[in-house]
Amino acid sequence: MIAYIVRRLALAVVTLVAITVIVYGLARSMPGTPLTLAISETDPSRKLNAADLERIRAIYGLDEPWPVGYVRWASRVVAGDLGRSISRKQPVVTLIGERIGPTMVLSATALVLTWLLSIPLGLYASARSGRIDERASSLLLYVLYSFPTFVAALFLQIIFAVWLRGTRWELPLFGMTDLPADAPFAARAADVAWHAILPVACQTYVSLAWYSRFIKANMEEAVRQDYVRTARAKGVGPFGVLVKHAFRNTLIPLVTLVGLSLPALLGGSVIIEQIFTWPGMGRLFFESIRERDYPTIMGLTLMFSVLTLAGQILADLLYAFVDPRVSVA
Amino acid sequence: MTASLPRPIGFWGDAWRRFRRRPLAVAAVAFIGFLAAVAILAPAIAGTKPVLCRYKGRLYAPCLAYFDRRLEPVVFAQDRFRGSYPANLAAKDPESWAIWPLVFQDPFRAVRADEWPGRPANPSRDQGRPSRTNLFGTDQYGVDVFAKMVHGTTVALLVGFVSMGLASVIGITLGALGGYFGGWADSLVSRFTEVVMCIPTLILILALVAIVEKPTIWKTMAIIGATNWTSIARLTRGEFLRLRQSEFVMAARAAGAGPLRIMLRHILPNSLAPVLVPITFGIASAILIESSLSFLGFGPPPPSASWGAVLNDARSNLSMWWLVLFPGMAIFLTVLAYNLVGEALQEVTDPRLRESRK
Repeated sequence: MIAYIVRRLALAVVTLVAITVIVYGLARSMPGTPLTLAISETDPSRKLNAADLERIRAIYGLDEPWPVGYVRWASRVVAGDLGRSISRKQPVVTLIGERIGPTMVLSATALVLTWLLSIPLGLYASARSGRIDERASSLLLYVLYSFPTFVAALFLQIIFAVWLRGTRWELPLFGMTDLPADAPFAARAADVAWHAILPVACQTYVSLAWYSRFIKANMEEAVRQDYVRTARAKGVGPFGVLVKHAFRNTLIPLVTLVGLSLPALLGGSVIIEQIFTWPGMGRLFFESIRERDYPTIMGLTLMFSVLTLAGQILADLLYAFVDPRVSVA
Repeated sequence: MTASLPRPIGFWGDAWRRFRRRPLAVAAVAFIGFLAAVAILAPAIAGTKPVLCRYKGRLYAPCLAYFDRRLEPVVFAQDRFRGSYPANLAAKDPESWAIWPLVFQDPFRAVRADEWPGRPANPSRDQGRPSRTNLFGTDQYGVDVFAKMVHGTTVALLVGFVSMGLASVIGITLGALGGYFGGWADSLVSRFTEVVMCIPTLILILALVAIVEKPTIWKTMAIIGATNWTSIARLTRGEFLRLRQSEFVMAARAAGAGPLRIMLRHILPNSLAPVLVPITFGIASAILIESSLSFLGFGPPPPSASWGAVLNDARSNLSMWWLVLFPGMAIFLTVLAYNLVGEALQEVTDPRLRESRK
């Protein structure tokens, strides 16, 4: 067990190095640097003269070829320092810390909603399997699954923020809160929740469709097993068979999903945060690419890939933990 | 089944028979066929250049300029048509005749007043609701949305096929090499696939798009293809790993076939069915990625008729619902169609799923 974990961790470190090298190389190859972009945006007439630019480039270590820059960045990361954002003049850790809360508000709510809704839906679908109502609802879920989030987001914005403007049902178009930072906490929380309705709805529906289909597929496999037939034969009611016998055994693949949803939980969604101008991690990444803010790009990439790899390892370990027949070694 | 059937049904014949029994999948294939027809006939459906015209004694097809600007006959530039055909044709050669597209609207510019005799100019800003002249309305500059949608079909289909074609070449090559040779080649391929899989797709694509100096639709397709091959590589590797131990491969090797021949002629045809499934799903996700890139403003710059670009216009003009409804539904239906085909392929070619439901 320990040997397995150690081997997985060692492999993960190799993967991590490869990912960060690739993304660092890509980031440094983008046309423009954070210095030139930031200055031309604030005041196009104020061009730095060549000597000043060279001096600032040296300060940020941008005068060296990117492999050297990568080694410098990596050695600082090993020492626990993600560096400072060039365009925002703040430590990257602070930036991430500011953005992770808003992202969690969306993604954690969406995840909880997904679980709460998809399990009953999946059970319902397998109980009524083949009937007309089940086929209709399964088709609807499949259609929802193919519905692009950004299209759904625009539709919701048009309905709730434009057509219903001035009515009780109007919902805010974008942003996280309209209240100042010194407003009372309860009022602020209510306002954030109000703003979060549309983005949470968008984030929930796709995973809802996916999860309930996944649960139904697993249930279909389970209800064909002999132990389900035995349970029926000894007189267990339909609900008991479905929930206590079949569903409990489908929990194992479900548990691995918990691990795999880790990156989405903390990483957020670039598109949804961008549409609703939600100040989260996805939007931070989008902005840092536009600003060529290498330290932030790298910090976020590192975080995403650590989470992805950790999620995979966690999923495998959880799998072995809940199912004694599975051995990781 | 009748007893008079002379020859046994092969794997693909059997798969096709099962496929035909799924009305939704057949409808999806029909819809994709419809899109392909729209894409090929786009300049004849909506445009401001004649499909075919006779001018000064010769026949021309100026509508081909919508596929490539260089295909526009030089004579019209020499005679100072400036893209406006109806009036100029009549004025400069009274003998001329022309076959016009079904809808006289342009995907790249607003049609001016009286460009088509008696037709008012396209409404601009937020005035362009759908009407008889502008079936799907106009955008804030007065460009016809129907024309944009028709010409955007070409982009959507091309994105799907070109990017997944590239992804299939990369994925199948890498997967085949890793699966067939095993050993260090396999670990190298598997590690590399894992690395690319671990970088979130949108991050990798945004970074690559930012690097490309002048984005064109072809570069976008290349980027999507170059990042979307991982599931194909994994499946191909698994199939090759399984089949290289099989008896027919052993027989081929005993008969003296080289590795390349074994891989291409013996293993690849037998591993194609499961690999087709991620390719089909990949087409759906490629179309989705392209439209979300255009939507985020990272797509190719205008003039390019992408469905996602129309949606991007809608973001700042939310009261113009027709800018969301038509392209949104088009993207949705296309993605749904490919997903349905992919799912049907999965079920008709997977023997395990085949046996369980007769």
